[in-house]
Amino acid sequence: MKAGGGETPAPKGKGLGGEKLNTEKLKAEKLDAAGLKAAGLKAAGLNILAVDTTSDFLSLAVMKGGVPGDAPYEALGRRMAREILPRIDALLKGAGLKAEELDLLLVARGPGSFTGTRIGMGVAQTFAQVLEIPLLGVDTLTLLAAQTDPGESRPFHVALNCARDEVYHARFRWKDGIAQMEGAIALRRLETLAPEIGDAPVMLRRFGKEDGRAPGNHTAARPAANSRDPDTERRFAALNEMSPVHPRPDGKRLLAVGAPRFLARREGPWPPVLPLYLKSEAFRTWKGRP
Amino acid sequence: MSATAKSTGNRTGNLPAGGPLGLAIDTTFDDTSVAILRGRREVLANLTLSQYADHAEFGGVVPERASRRHLEVIQRLIGDALAKAGEESHGGASGDDAGGDSGGASGGAAPVSLAALDYVAVSNLPGLMGSILVGMTVAKSLSYLLEVPLIGINHIEAHPYANVIAHGEPAFPLIHLVAAGGHTLLIHQRGHFDWEIVGRSVDDAAGECVDKVAKMFGHPMPGGPVVDRLAMTHQPGPYRFPRPMLNAPGLDFSFSGLKTAMLYLLRKEGLLEEVAGENRRPGNVRVKASTEQGPLLAAFFAAVCDVLVAKTLRAARQFGVETVTLSGGLAASAKLRERFGQACAEAGLRLLVPPPELCTDNAAMVGCLAAFRYEAGRLDDLSLEGYPNLPM
Repeated sequence: MKAGGGETPAPKGKGLGGEKLNTEKLKAEKLDAAGLKAAGLKAAGLNILAVDTTSDFLSLAVMKGGVPGDAPYEALGRRMAREILPRIDALLKGAGLKAEELDLLLVARGPGSFTGTRIGMGVAQTFAQVLEIPLLGVDTLTLLAAQTDPGESRPFHVALNCARDEVYHARFRWKDGIAQMEGAIALRRLETLAPEIGDAPVMLRRFGKEDGRAPGNHTAARPAANSRDPDTERRFAALNEMSPVHPRPDGKRLLAVGAPRFLARREGPWPPVLPLYLKSEAFRTWKGRP
Repeated sequence: MSATAKSTGNRTGNLPAGGPLGLAIDTTFDDTSVAILRGRREVLANLTLSQYADHAEFGGVVPERASRRHLEVIQRLIGDALAKAGEESHGGASGDDAGGDSGGASGGAAPVSLAALDYVAVSNLPGLMGSILVGMTVAKSLSYLLEVPLIGINHIEAHPYANVIAHGEPAFPLIHLVAAGGHTLLIHQRGHFDWEIVGRSVDDAAGECVDKVAKMFGHPMPGGPVVDRLAMTHQPGPYRFPRPMLNAPGLDFSFSGLKTAMLYLLRKEGLLEEVAGENRRPGNVRVKASTEQGPLLAAFFAAVCDVLVAKTLRAARQFGVETVTLSGGLAASAKLRERFGQACAEAGLRLLVPPPELCTDNAAMVGCLAAFRYEAGRLDDLSLEGYPNLPM
C-alpha cells in the first residue's frame, strides 16, 4: 500500500459490514448464550452492568437475572463524559433494572485511550463503591481475543495499534472455552514484533480503521492517522489477520469474559481496579528534561 | 442578596436542621479535594491531597500524571471525608476545622452516610481537562445513584467563597482579587451568581511568575511560600523592578515581563550559572549558588505586590465598593496580606482574607458556592460539560 492515501486493501476475513455480518452476529449471540449458560450464570441469576470506554466508542451491556440484554455500542468521542450516565440510565431502565439491584460491575481497564478509560473507570468505581458491589476489570487485549473463534486451536497473537509503529501485544490460546493470555501484555514496536509473530494468526485492532471515524474527538482514532508510515503499513498488511466471529469488542465480550471470572472466585477479595495504561504519563519528552 | 433572601425554591421547602448537606469535589488542577458542608458555610470535612511531590521531577505539573493520580485517590478521599464529617457532626474535635490536610479519619463516630447528601457539587471549569473529567465523572455517578442534584461550579467563582466560610455572608458589591495558579483576576461581584471579570492577567499569572522566578533560584513548585518567606525577612536592597502595567489604563495585569526583568538583572549582575547555548532560555537558567537570594526576591515580590494592590484598589474605586477580598494560592502570602492590610486601611476599605488553608485549591469553597446554588434552585443535570478555559 502506498503511503498517505489510496484504498485500504481489504483485510483478510474482515468481520464488519456486508451481508456476512448478520449471520455472524446470530452465531455470535448463540455462542454467547451457550458460553454463559455453561458458566452457570443463568443459574446464578446475576444482574451485571458492563462498561467499556477505552476507545472512542461507548460500549455498555447489561445482564439481568443471568440473561444478557442490550449492548449499545456507539461512537461518542469527546461526548463520552457527557453521555455516559444518561446512556447507562436508559440501558438500565430498558432492562427494567434499578441500579441498586446490580450484583456486579465490569469495566474495561485498558490499554486504550487514557482519558476515555478514566471516564468508564470513574463511573464503574463509583457505582461499585456506592452500591457496595464488586468491580472486576478486564484488559482490552483479552476482550479482543474473545472476539476470535473458540475453535481456533493454534496459539494466536492480539495486537492493538496505539501509535505509529507501536502496538500493545499479548499471546493467547483458547483453552476450555476461554481465551487465555500466555505471558503478559507489552508495548512493542511492530518492527521487532512482526518477525517474532511470523505467520501465526493475529487478532488486530487499529483504532479508526475497523471502527470508522468517530465524531468529535479522535483521541483514540488519532494513532491510526499517525501510522501512515509506509513501512508500518506494510507490516500491518503482512500480518496473518484473524477473522473475528464476534464483530466488535463490545460490552457483550466484556460480559462473556468477566462474568465467568467473577463466578470462579465469587468470594473475592475484590481489590481496587485501576486503569491499565502501559505507557508512562510523561511519554512526551521535553528538551533538556529527562 | 436577593437570590438567597427569598430562596424558597422548589427543593428547599423543608431544609434539615443546619441546612442541606452537600459533597463537593475539586480536581481542576493537581490537587484532589473533597469537602462536605452543612448549610452554607459549616465545613464538616475538607480533605486535600496535593500532588506537588509527584511532579517535582518535571519542574511543573504533568497533566496526564495529574489525571492518573486523581483517579487513584478520589474514592478513598470521599470515604475519608464522609468519616471526618461524621466525627465533626457528632460534636467532634475542633469546631473550626475549615482547612485540615488529608489525615484520614478515625474514631468512634459513624461516617456521614452518602444517602444523607442533598446535592453533589463539582468544579467543571477551568483547569486541566483530563483532571476535571475525573472529578466530574465521579460526581455525576454519585448524583445519579443517590438521586440528588448535580451542581457544576466555576472554580474561579468559588475561590472568593473561602471568605464566606471564614467571615460569613458578604455585603455586596465586592471586588475580589483571585490570585490562583494560572489566573490572576479582578472580579466585580454584585450578588451571588452576578459577577464579571473586570481585570485579568494577559500573559503569566502572578503566581505563575513567582513560580518561574523561584525556579531560576532553584526552588521547586510551588515557589510562593519560599519567595514569601524571603520577602518577609529581607529588605529589597538596591534592586528595582518594573511595575508592569501599573500606569496603563484598565485593570489587566501582565507579569511575564517581570520574570524577564529578573533574568536580565541576574545576567547583568553576573549571577547566572553558564548554560549551554540552546538551553539558554528563561525556564532553564539557575542562579549561582553563592547568590544572596533574599534581597533579590524581596525586591521582585515587592513589585508583584505593588501591582496587585494598586490594581485592586483602582478597581474598588472604579466600582465604588467598600470591601475587597483576596483568595487563591498567592493570597496565602504573608507579605501580600501585609501590603493589602496597609493599603486598605489607608484607603478606608474593608479587607477580607481567608485563612491560608482556604486560599489554595480546596473543595470547601466549591461546596460553599454550591450551597447558595442549591438554595436558589440553580442546578445542573447529568449532561454537565467540563471546560478547560474561563469563558471570555
